[in-house]
Amino acid sequence: MTPAEIDRADVTLAAAGDHAAFERLYHRHVARVHSLARWLLDPGDAEDAVQEVFIRVWQKLHTFAGQSAFGTWLHRVAVNLFLRRRQTSSQDRKRQISDEGLMLAATGVAERPDLRVALEGAVDKLPAGAREVFVLHDMEGYKHEEIARMLEVDPGTSRSQLHRARLLLRQHLAT
Amino acid sequence: MPDRYTNQLSAYLDDELDSASRARLTAHLRTCPECTGLLADLRAIVAVAPAYSGREPSRELWPEIEARLGEAEVIAIGGARPPSPASVRRFGWRELIAASIVMAAVGGGAVYLALGGRSGPDARLAVSPGAPPAVTTPSPSGSRNVAFAEREYDSAVRDLEQVLEAGRSRLDTATVRSVEESLQKIDAAIAEARAAIQRDPSNGYLNRQIAANMRRKLNLLRVATNAIAART
Repeated sequence: MTPAEIDRADVTLAAAGDHAAFERLYHRHVARVHSLARWLLDPGDAEDAVQEVFIRVWQKLHTFAGQSAFGTWLHRVAVNLFLRRRQTSSQDRKRQISDEGLMLAATGVAERPDLRVALEGAVDKLPAGAREVFVLHDMEGYKHEEIARMLEVDPGTSRSQLHRARLLLRQHLAT
Repeated sequence: MPDRYTNQLSAYLDDELDSASRARLTAHLRTCPECTGLLADLRAIVAVAPAYSGREPSRELWPEIEARLGEAEVIAIGGARPPSPASVRRFGWRELIAASIVMAAVGGGAVYLALGGRSGPDARLAVSPGAPPAVTTPSPSGSRNVAFAEREYDSAVRDLEQVLEAGRSRLDTATVRSVEESLQKIDAAIAEARAAIQRDPSNGYLNRQIAANMRRKLNLLRVATNAIAART
């Protein structure tokens, strides 16, 4: 069975009230949901938000029709919840960053064998505004117009933040 | 050193440049090793980004989540605040089943209206494990409602079972097996609780088990038939 088929079988059981099946889904997906929470919320708020996501998903499981992978649906629920949660908090998230000092010379980042693992650590170091756009666009697949609505910024700002994020990541990964 | 093309590299990568700008940048890349190297790095970063594995929370969250799953099943009529005793109407198992059917069919808001409570986004019906529902003597109109709801439940289950039978070939084998095993377990649990409640009609725990399992059966059938519809 593929991971998607395993998820689908457990979703079916969990929707019928099977806690053990839902626990298996939780353990397969919690790490990514937790990272999303850390990247989109204040780190101190992440674990509480992760719990809220899984409770919400449990309550909404019967609405999951299976057109997409469970993980994709779960992440959409998580992102929506995290962004709503932010709106009710008083987080002051700085969106403007400077391009000064960005290294543009050759780095060999593309050849790093551990690039995927190293990237996650580098994302932690991004300024909030650039990190949010990078996470939503490159990691979660949202379009700039969607991100602009979600973050209440101009689509052009989303595009420029994404470019800055990628350049900063390249710099972090080269050092 | 940055040049006028550097800031277009992300748009180039994301295929967001118009054709003329793209052609100019493509020509530039043939002669600029810096931009070519930068583009290769950005492309590598973008390629691996969706496959992030994530970081586990610093502590185990599942026990707290599982404890709250129970809360989600709790049914009292009210929102986030615990309902006051005066505002809670308690139900016998027939009424709970009826409410479950309505909830499964049309959602919590309608249940609220049907039961004379206030409606709202948080409105939901749940069985409180800490407060067994009193078995009430249904009023004549309540009996008619329960009988109607039971017929509706039976009809809904029959319809969904027919859809499931007709469309089972569209589901993968593992899902069909999971659904069938779960339905058997749920049916067995309902039958067992119904037999037991004949001997102990005022048993609140059994009341809740029957209502919860009937709701689970409907939910399971709905999930399975949704999955069939998605593959049609």
